[in-house]
Amino acid sequence: MNSFNVFKVSASALEAQRQRMNVVASNMANVHSTRTDEGGPYRRKDVLFSAETVQSDSDTLTGVRIVDVVPDSSPFRTVYDPGHPDADKDGYVSMPNINIIEEMVNIMMASRAYEASVSAFNMSKAMFLKTLELGRQ
Amino acid sequence: MVIVVGGIMDNGFNILERLIQLTNLRHGVIISNIANADTPDYKAKDLKFEQLLSDELLGLKTTCAKHIGNNNLALSEDVSFEAGEQWPDRNNVHLDMEVAKMTENALLFQAALHMFSTKIKMFKNAVRR
Repeated sequence: MNSFNVFKVSASALEAQRQRMNVVASNMANVHSTRTDEGGPYRRKDVLFSAETVQSDSDTLTGVRIVDVVPDSSPFRTVYDPGHPDADKDGYVSMPNINIIEEMVNIMMASRAYEASVSAFNMSKAMFLKTLELGRQ
Repeated sequence: MVIVVGGIMDNGFNILERLIQLTNLRHGVIISNIANADTPDYKAKDLKFEQLLSDELLGLKTTCAKHIGNNNLALSEDVSFEAGEQWPDRNNVHLDMEVAKMTENALLFQAALHMFSTKIKMFKNAVRR
């Protein structure tokens, strides 16, 4: 058993949460984007987490990985705005399916999980350093 | 690490060594829970090592001294799933509880290390006289 694998677990969580924050930030930035390369308004994206063992011989240590970034299939918001260049003939504009409050909650959860993993990492480090002191005066 | 038993060292070293091993293992389990706090379908794990440890302590009194320090214990089997309440994504990790457990476990680890150091210091002291 490699004792340094606990750091891999914390690092995997930090990376996953940071990637999640990137995705949420993109969502928030594009809350009013009505044009995309694929055509139509921006579609909200969400991350897919998956647990995976960092060690082949034991299942006690489980890290986390983002397996995919999936688009949210919920319907677009329609807003009545006849002056908008992307309005249809009835004056309705399709806006991205993003709820800014939901995204705020999401980013706060990611931030808390990130903080917890940082403190877990620091605690592992403190335990290691303490072990190195063993037997010293 | 196997310390000579029945020689000049006493069994306290073995108990402390075991305690350090188990707290280290439990730390890994708790870290995994924290890492997977937002993973759907993940189930929190824990090492019920209070029970494990007392079994081992009893074992120290009764079984052959050569068994002590044996690393072949099926450690992964001792890890059990927690039965706590689930979130809507079928994950049952409670981040605050896990952080509390991690702190408690780390303190136990440091206490064991401290006692280990003290014991070494005692032996050193005895040798110096």
